[in-house]
Amino acid sequence: MTTTIGLEIHVQLATQTKMFCGCSTAFGDEPNTHVCPVCLGLPGALPTLNAQAVVLATRLALALGCTVHEISEFSRKNYFYPDLPKSYQITQFDRPIATGGSLPVVTSAGRRDIRLTRAHIEEDAGKSMHAADITLGGETLVDFNRCGMPLIEIVTEPDMSSGDEAYEFLRGLRRLVRWLGVSSGDMEKGALRCDVNISVSDDPARRGTKVEIKNLNSFRSVKRAIDYEAQRQADCCARGIAIDTETRHFDEVQGTTSPMRSKEASNDYRYFPEPDLPLLRLDPEAVESQRREMPELPWQMQERLERDLGLSSYDAALLTEEREPAAFFEATLALYDNPKKVASYMGTEVARLLNERGASLGETRLTPAGLAGLLAMVENNTISNTASKEVLPLLLETGKAPEEAVRSLGLEQVSDTSALEALAREVIIENPAQVGQFKAGKEAVLGFLVGQLMKKSKGKANPQLAGEVLRKLLA
Amino acid sequence: MATIIDRQTLEHVASLARLEIRPDQEAGLLTDLEHILTYVAQLGSVDTGMVVSRRPVMTALREDGPTPGLTREEGLGGAPAVRDGFVVVHNVMGGDDE
Amino acid sequence: MSSAAPRTVDEYRQGVRSRTFSSGEFLEETAGRIQQGDESIHAYLHLRLDAARAEAAHAEPALALAGAPVAVKDNIMMAGERCTCASRILADYVAPYSATAVEKLLSAGAIVPGKTNLDEFAMGSSTENSAFFPTRNPRDPSRVPGGSSGGSTAAVAAGFALAAIGSDTGGSVRQPAAFCGVVGFKPTYGLVSRYGLVAFASSLDCIGPVTRSVKDTAIMMNILAGHDARDATSIDRPPLDFEAALEPDLAGKRIGLIRELGGLSVQPDIEAALEDARRLAEQRGATVVEVSVPHILAALPAYYIIAPAECSANLGRYDGVRYGLRVEGRDMTETYSRTRNAGFGPEVKRRILIGTFVLSAGYYDAYYRKATEVRQLISDEMDAALAGVDALLTPTTPTTAFKLGAVTDPLEMYKADVFTIPANLAGLPAISIPAGTDSQGLPIGLQLMGARFGDAGLLSVANVLFEGLGGQA
Repeated sequence: MTTTIGLEIHVQLATQTKMFCGCSTAFGDEPNTHVCPVCLGLPGALPTLNAQAVVLATRLALALGCTVHEISEFSRKNYFYPDLPKSYQITQFDRPIATGGSLPVVTSAGRRDIRLTRAHIEEDAGKSMHAADITLGGETLVDFNRCGMPLIEIVTEPDMSSGDEAYEFLRGLRRLVRWLGVSSGDMEKGALRCDVNISVSDDPARRGTKVEIKNLNSFRSVKRAIDYEAQRQADCCARGIAIDTETRHFDEVQGTTSPMRSKEASNDYRYFPEPDLPLLRLDPEAVESQRREMPELPWQMQERLERDLGLSSYDAALLTEEREPAAFFEATLALYDNPKKVASYMGTEVARLLNERGASLGETRLTPAGLAGLLAMVENNTISNTASKEVLPLLLETGKAPEEAVRSLGLEQVSDTSALEALAREVIIENPAQVGQFKAGKEAVLGFLVGQLMKKSKGKANPQLAGEVLRKLLA
Repeated sequence: MATIIDRQTLEHVASLARLEIRPDQEAGLLTDLEHILTYVAQLGSVDTGMVVSRRPVMTALREDGPTPGLTREEGLGGAPAVRDGFVVVHNVMGGDDE
Repeated sequence: MSSAAPRTVDEYRQGVRSRTFSSGEFLEETAGRIQQGDESIHAYLHLRLDAARAEAAHAEPALALAGAPVAVKDNIMMAGERCTCASRILADYVAPYSATAVEKLLSAGAIVPGKTNLDEFAMGSSTENSAFFPTRNPRDPSRVPGGSSGGSTAAVAAGFALAAIGSDTGGSVRQPAAFCGVVGFKPTYGLVSRYGLVAFASSLDCIGPVTRSVKDTAIMMNILAGHDARDATSIDRPPLDFEAALEPDLAGKRIGLIRELGGLSVQPDIEAALEDARRLAEQRGATVVEVSVPHILAALPAYYIIAPAECSANLGRYDGVRYGLRVEGRDMTETYSRTRNAGFGPEVKRRILIGTFVLSAGYYDAYYRKATEVRQLISDEMDAALAGVDALLTPTTPTTAFKLGAVTDPLEMYKADVFTIPANLAGLPAISIPAGTDSQGLPIGLQLMGARFGDAGLLSVANVLFEGLGGQA
């Protein structure tokens, strides 16, 4: 069975105002409070294109390796729906802003470049809440705050063949749009939406009937829906049941797809060029300038960290999940040149603290210099690794220099041999049984004795040195 | 004689435009539309092979800064049905798009 | 008020500025004329005379319009006033904002006595398609004033306003101006902002002034023209002083007559008026030549594909959801249909159906795409013709004003736009000036068309002919 999957993704561009009017794009305010004649489709209103939306769309298209077209055109897509005030959506049909491009996706099956067909900009419709969502008795409530929000629609080639690939594609796209500052990519807030096109065929030479799946609210839903639908279609093929070209709705709770109640057999959108907007021309120099200023892309950095710095794929992926930790990592590295230690520390201790606080790096006062300093102090035995875990929270909270933080906590590692010897003698006296075991040949017991010494020193002893001192005294 | 627009096409077009044609209006409409479409169809005989469609290019785009809009009352003051700030319509779940 | 009452904006403001009379007095006189005469003409759909009186009392004489009464077609938004588009679907709709053109007029000191009648959604050539009532021609109330801006032209002709603005998509300012014996101007597309003009056909619609003299047209254009950031099709060009550009004669000018229009059937009185105008032009120093616009007769069919197509999309917003009439059905689809059936008149429905048809799958290439190609062809041919002349001269209409109810066949009504439509397709400036009357005393209008952005030059040529043919309406 060959499964062929393509995705249509709508990404909300992170502008201050809507695509065709100056209304705010702020999320979550009272319904119908970010409205004007244009986005309400009042008589006589006209659209005006948001310059920043074009900049962000171009940035994303360049990062995806698309051909960015100097001239593109807007079109009207005509249909009736209560959340579409003009009864047409301004989109780009014949001449989109970008075509081609690709996004690399890594799954257990390996790394593949998923090709893109095109990317174009368009406006969003309003939000409808149906009786199924809230008990309204046969009514739909419409909020036009979202109407006119700027979107970029990305259409992939049908290159994917599993729910996993689609899931990783979406994760990769989300990472990229956040990395570039193009979108929050937040599916929960509707900043990223995805429809699936899937067909299954038992004949590798022929593609099966294409089915569209809508109403997918999370990346997981996309995977689950694909997995279910692929199986359903495979079953149909196996049993000789014809698959209808249709749009299906995914049920979150059941994990199944079912045909959507279709209002009309044909949806003829009657696309034609938007007469209220002249052609969009991108200044080639400005586009080149954007291309030159493009930062290292997340997958490029991820590969570089693995290849050149020898990081594990896990650490490299974690560090390049967002621009912030990636930049933090590089800045720390510039001051303390041990990539594995920095990566590891960030991936464990730092990540844990951030998780506990529900904060991002930028929301704390930890600086690359602070982290670098801390790690350097561990390396030159000024403090123990264990102690550093106590210092870190203070750095996050206060932004103090690590030396000052260590001092204020009194955690300077004791590396003074004579001080250690004194403590070691105490430990030997207090633990005769273990001493005996060690002298009898049980090496492992040294760890226990070291642990006792660490306790006595309130974690400040240099554990390696402690071991050496004990060993010498017990010899 | 082959017509440009027949009853089925008219009904389909009317449905796309959300206009119902009353049975008593249908014949008259078909006649009118047939005349008009026949008249405009003469364009088919104009040779436009050498024509290059040109459209002007946008000169300046709008800066991305908020501008004053309408209050909910101003924008939806004339709406037939509003509740709790939302516009109320018949349930359309399963309708056209998204 | 004296018997030398001002009949143009120019005369009016001279009078106000020289304190011969006040704006309040003049507005009161105008209101009196409206209250007496509009019952039989029906130029206005709705009036705001009390508000106008209050505004006139504070009018500033130094402003360009100095408190002059200027009527506004009821498809142009004016905040706080109803904007019905002469349609049942917007019968009670109140505009929450003003069109840029209205804002400019008000800033220049205009006072709006009311909103004028039109063919529903500007579709028509007689104002008989208004859902409420037809307007009558002040020269002969048994006849139409023309359309779709019939209310505006009737108002100016009858003295119910000193000037007006209308909209011209296929001739809707020029043709009624010709029928009513006043001046009607369609500027170059994009010169006057469309923001706040209820869209009929977006790539063709233009707001244009209706006046009693070409000098007044220039005064109005000085106020109306200008780039508007709220209209992406609005042109950004250095400002012109249209008044200052008016020249006294036609020395060195060339006027073109379009060969391919020669075979069309035109009322003999109108042909004669065209001949008079031609001779006058030569007397004033112009050379009159024949030019060719080979495909000009394809303009009408191209227009009646493009305009309905754009209108079918532009009128989709009238769905009863956010404003306007709503007629409930059992579900949303039925609510849409019932609302639109009840709200739209037959001409509007016809055009929506044609428009939907020509855009629909299977017909788009043969109709809409073809029409846009023909449009480009005609536009290129017009540009070529105008490269060699300063203006093209044609009749505005094939006949003078017809009787109410005389033209019932839609196609016959459409074909009356044959002279006006090419300028809309090509986006060129075009003006209709009064040129005497026919044997029944009905006004004749002649049209001049100019090169794109050559509005000032065109008004100059038009003014010379206007003055020579009799002057103020």
